[in-house]
Amino acid sequence: MTVAPLIEVKNIKKYFPYKKGLFGKKGFVKAVDGVSFSVNKGETFGLVGESGCGKSTTGRMIMNLLEPTEGAIIFEGHDLGSLNENEVRDLRKDFQMIFQDPYASLNPRMRVKEIIAEPLVIHGLLNGKQREKRVHELLEVVGLSSYHGERYPHEFSGGQRQRIGIARALAVNPKLIIADEPVSALDVSIQSQILNLLQDLQEEFGLTYVFIAHDLSVVEHISSRIGVMYLGRMVELADKDSLYEEPLHPYTQSLISAVPIPNPRIKRERIVLQGDIPSPSNPPSGCTFHTRCPFVTDLCKSQIPAFKETRPGHFTACHLYND
Amino acid sequence: MRDKLLTIENLKTHFFSDDGIVPAVDGVNITIKKGETVGIVGESGCGKSVTSLSVMRLLKDTPGRVVGGSIQFKGKDLLSLSDREMRNIRGNEIAMIFQEPMTSLNPVLTIGRQIKEAVGLHLGLEGKKAHEHVIEMLKLVGIPRAEEIVNEYPHQLSGGMRQRVMIAMAMSCKPKLLIADEPTTALDVTIQAQILELMKKLSAEEETAIMLITHDLGVVAEMCDRVVVMYAGKVVEEADIYELFENPKHPYTKGLLQSIPKLREKKNRLGSIPGTVPNPLERPPGCKFAPRCSEVFDLCREVEPELLPVGADHQCRCLLYQRDLVKEA
Ligand SMILES: Nc1ncnc2c1ncn2[C@@H]1O[C@H](COP(=O)(O)OP(=O)(O)O)[C@@H](O)[C@H]1O
Ligand SMILES: Nc1ncnc2c1ncn2[C@@H]1O[C@H](COP(=O)(O)OP(=O)(O)O)[C@@H](O)[C@H]1O
Ligand code: SF4
Ligand SMILES: [Mg+2]
Ligand SMILES: [Mg+2]
Repeated sequence: MTVAPLIEVKNIKKYFPYKKGLFGKKGFVKAVDGVSFSVNKGETFGLVGESGCGKSTTGRMIMNLLEPTEGAIIFEGHDLGSLNENEVRDLRKDFQMIFQDPYASLNPRMRVKEIIAEPLVIHGLLNGKQREKRVHELLEVVGLSSYHGERYPHEFSGGQRQRIGIARALAVNPKLIIADEPVSALDVSIQSQILNLLQDLQEEFGLTYVFIAHDLSVVEHISSRIGVMYLGRMVELADKDSLYEEPLHPYTQSLISAVPIPNPRIKRERIVLQGDIPSPSNPPSGCTFHTRCPFVTDLCKSQIPAFKETRPGHFTACHLYND
Repeated sequence: MRDKLLTIENLKTHFFSDDGIVPAVDGVNITIKKGETVGIVGESGCGKSVTSLSVMRLLKDTPGRVVGGSIQFKGKDLLSLSDREMRNIRGNEIAMIFQEPMTSLNPVLTIGRQIKEAVGLHLGLEGKKAHEHVIEMLKLVGIPRAEEIVNEYPHQLSGGMRQRVMIAMAMSCKPKLLIADEPTTALDVTIQAQILELMKKLSAEEETAIMLITHDLGVVAEMCDRVVVMYAGKVVEEADIYELFENPKHPYTKGLLQSIPKLREKKNRLGSIPGTVPNPLERPPGCKFAPRCSEVFDLCREVEPELLPVGADHQCRCLLYQRDLVKEA
């Protein structure tokens, strides 16, 4: 049985224009170059890949903070691109975002209680008294106390600021939360507090997450299904067990093998990739991974591999599996 | 047993600010033997970088000062050397690399010039010979197109390449000790793998000891022979790498190990350490970890534990293992 997905992302692209040289011709940074996936209600969909591969840009397009150059985003059956402003505003409260740097995303001149109440004000929800009650509730839900509401962001540690960001995101009872590297800046002991909190909240409020991160261990821990991106494209997508037990794409294989394992007894054969990640303003032809791939053939250099279901529920874009 | 290269004893480095005295490093003991890689782990602000800057005597431009303890390097007391003697050791016998190589590279000098200055300065090579030496160094650290890269500027290189340049500069004088402060933290995981391999290879070839500062326990497990765990300015545990991961004693170390997600572990919930690191101006009396400790008992809030042996080559700063001592006193 298939559940209707909460959100479907269909072949979205985001090309940022830029000028080459002073009088040079226009070029494009192909930040996202044809990404498709769907997220089921109540699940955590992980999005991994190295810096610059287009994770945040993808998240921001889903959040409607950026307009896709191409492609469609379908939320509960509605194509976001075809809605009018009012309809979009209504839907906006179903989506909330949590950021990597909670400090940068919290207004330093506002009290925490005002920060948390802001989405309620924006969407005109609840009156003064009810709002106050809701803020207290939210503070408690994320493991803070009512008196924290009176303080300013700079009075909090990184982990506490992330809790504030989460409380703000929860204020309007969203359906979908896009968490963009929410624990990347935190120390490990605080990181696990926040991961546990996110899991508790998901269970309690039936939330759906898109969890963006570059740490493969964190993504494995929190996600049910995972998409791996490289240079603006999705190269592999599978449920987490298939992905980590039998990664198919050479990039995923090397990515997983590059993760240092916190167990000194485990000495692994590591696939050390040669070279750097190419620039998205001038991506390699064919399979964009071909410049670093240990299995590259001539075909890879000229033809973009299709993103295909290689095993049931396991998608890969690699010529090795295209026969 | 291998020779002791670096011995830090009861090091105290404090910062003097308007708000008060910050005891950033407040009793640190670390011994590094010849050719050995020692990891230093702990949460941000626990004093890892300040420890390394104290060894390098690079605190001049800060409100910080070493106020106690000693640092012996090959039998010499680093803290009592003249500035000139120290400069001689820095970059020759002890080299350092940082998390963000951009901060230690000069943006207006070509890569070649910077390395040449370092090489010329320390090895007395000049002219064409220096140029060839530079290209050779770049090739040694796996930089492609070395002949072109020497003429490029730092901003033209990727983060990984810049870190390779830093390593080339640091290793060019064949130091006995390399201090690496979060050298791969800013890098992507596939690039991190390249840099770690490179550090392993070079240290093995030259028998360079490494003091590897990192918050990543995976990196530690992969690179280190021994580990020092710091909390709130103090060493709380020190052990052989296998011992630390398989038989951790300090509740903080145990908490850290349970907090990290591990690949293929299939744990539904991570362990966690409640609360946050105390403000260094308001550290509690007794054990600094007591407010967050799951095994805390009354005495912990009064008596400061010492760093004492709990096994062969294993030390721990926790009253759980010092109850008898405390009773006697
Ligand atoms: N507003 C923008 N203008 C131009 N280029 C951008 C913009 N935002 C992102 N990019 C570029 O798009 C690529 C993908 O960026 P991003 O989505 O932030 O990657 P990630 O989150 O995976 O690190 C990068 O090369 C980045 O420099
Ligand atoms: N330049 C400075 N001025 C004042 N305090 C400092 C300075 N550098 C470090 N400190 C203090 O020293 C403590 C330890 O810092 P550091 O050694 O950098 O920690 P880490 O373990 O993250 O490397 C911090 O609490 C910080 O407040
Ligand atoms: S398509 Fe070719 S180049 Fe790309 S990952 Fe697969 S084998 Fe490598
Ligand atoms: Mg990002
Ligand atoms: Mg530091």
